[in-house]
Amino acid sequence: MNNAIIVDNLTKYYGDLLAVDHISFEVEQGEIFGFLGPNGAGKTTTQRMLTTLLEPSDGRVLIHGHDIARDAYPAKRRMGLVPEEANVYTELSAWDNLMFTAQLYRVPGSQRAGRAQELLETFGLWEKRHVKAEDFSKGMRRRLSIAMAIIHKPALLFLDEPTPGLDAQSTHAIRDLIRQMNAEGTTIFLTTHQIEEANQLCSRVAIINHGQIAAIDTPERLKAAFRRVQSVELALEPDRAAYREALSALAGVTTVVKMGDKWRLYTADPSSLLPQVVDYARAHKLRLVSLSTQGPSLEDVFLEITGQEIGTVPHRTDDARSRRQRKGGKR
Amino acid sequence: MSTITMQRLRDELAQAWAVAVKDVRVYYLTPPMIMFGLALPLFLFFSFSVKREIGPEQGMSRLLALTTFFTASSAGVIIIPMERRAGTYDRLLAAPMALATLLIGKTLVGAFFAVAISLVSLLVGLVWLHVDVANPPLLITALVLASLSFSALGLVFASIPSRSVGNIMMPSTLIRWPLLFISGIFIPLSEMSPWALAVAYLSPLTYAQELMNRTVLGESLIAPWLSLTVLLLSGVVFLAAAAWMHRRSRRLGY
Repeated sequence: MNNAIIVDNLTKYYGDLLAVDHISFEVEQGEIFGFLGPNGAGKTTTQRMLTTLLEPSDGRVLIHGHDIARDAYPAKRRMGLVPEEANVYTELSAWDNLMFTAQLYRVPGSQRAGRAQELLETFGLWEKRHVKAEDFSKGMRRRLSIAMAIIHKPALLFLDEPTPGLDAQSTHAIRDLIRQMNAEGTTIFLTTHQIEEANQLCSRVAIINHGQIAAIDTPERLKAAFRRVQSVELALEPDRAAYREALSALAGVTTVVKMGDKWRLYTADPSSLLPQVVDYARAHKLRLVSLSTQGPSLEDVFLEITGQEIGTVPHRTDDARSRRQRKGGKR
Repeated sequence: MSTITMQRLRDELAQAWAVAVKDVRVYYLTPPMIMFGLALPLFLFFSFSVKREIGPEQGMSRLLALTTFFTASSAGVIIIPMERRAGTYDRLLAAPMALATLLIGKTLVGAFFAVAISLVSLLVGLVWLHVDVANPPLLITALVLASLSFSALGLVFASIPSRSVGNIMMPSTLIRWPLLFISGIFIPLSEMSPWALAVAYLSPLTYAQELMNRTVLGESLIAPWLSLTVLLLSGVVFLAAAAWMHRRSRRLGY
């Protein structure tokens, strides 16, 4: 048994709306699996079904070989959940929050205090252990929420958007912790819409769009499959917005994006675009401050697949959306 | 196999207790609990008792039934939507315990609160009003059983899929308040018309009031064993209904 999660034909209807559309995938033990998608794509609905919080309309979920529809107990014992909103008991101290969770997960009494101390020290909350969580910052609550989710040393950890809204220090600390837990053998299921986070952390990612799995692979393979969204990045002096039209007209450019003081020109053939850019700058007596070619980022791939802003993949049509709504009807 | 089952049973009991103790610490002193669980039954009692010629024993009997009913049935109605809104209910639902364990833990919370408030009321009656209690052991049994049953009733309302206390309080009030007037608290069963009496026998609160009458006043129309049995069965039915509605909520995503 090498799979921590097996999802087979998982489906969720809300009334007539098909929120998750017969998706299937597997997560191997020991990997960090990223689950990406735009808002409303079905990420959280899927994660709630995997964690037994929401009953699927159809399909099957196996967690470490246990069918959670038949017997969720052994699966629940082995999983931890960090939801998007830090769901700590604000009226209790950090210590009491951890003690309560340890009781819920039946951590042996002799180990509770030691485990709580270890986690509070790891998360930089030991000095504040007797302070009520209502006096914590958002980042501190988030760290406490993660500590509560792992007090029983779960083999599988679900993280829903763990870092949005946090300062750089907290974000860095949480990402380090995810890597460390994974290195110690914990499988991580990371739901996020932060593409760069997934790029940095995940060994594989699935991209869900309109309730369907649009792509699933390693970040590097996904990028390789989307070579057509390579780009040339340049900075010109003086920097003017008026260059957009002329840059868009260069041969092979599919999209032009202004990024701060830089321009990014998307193309399938960067090598033939480079001399055109140099010629343009020379002809208009502009200084090329920087010029480089860029492979597709995971964000580019994501935008291509989900049909947003950049790219050659057509947007999903309204016909497709309405077809999705007509598919079902029953829960 | 049996060892595993016993271990699981011990775990589930410990988890139910942990949920109950946590709720006591987190929610007992919240304004909605004080308002709906403590102040409201007292206001109701005084509203319907002042200037009426009832003796201290009769007043105590009514107050015990009223506080037990209102306080116990308010806990779940207030706590569960608050937990849903804060996201902490997901923490409980995702934990490795049966739904029944969670519901039993939540039932204990309301029952503790109701028994504690009732005992304080009883103490006041015994010390200051010199109320005599005809059957103390039966009174304690009745208080505990009625509190558990009415707390489970509160869970039925709390299982309505909503994150708003108001959305749940409204239907619960629509059901609970009429029960006060057809259950022998303000109008004794002996003064009811036959049709009103028939309705009264459908209300579990009637049996709680009858038990309080028997234990404090020493007299009741309904035999204590029947009242205890009805309260026990109604508690089981309420828990089953709450479990069914919780499963429905899980399909809807609450």
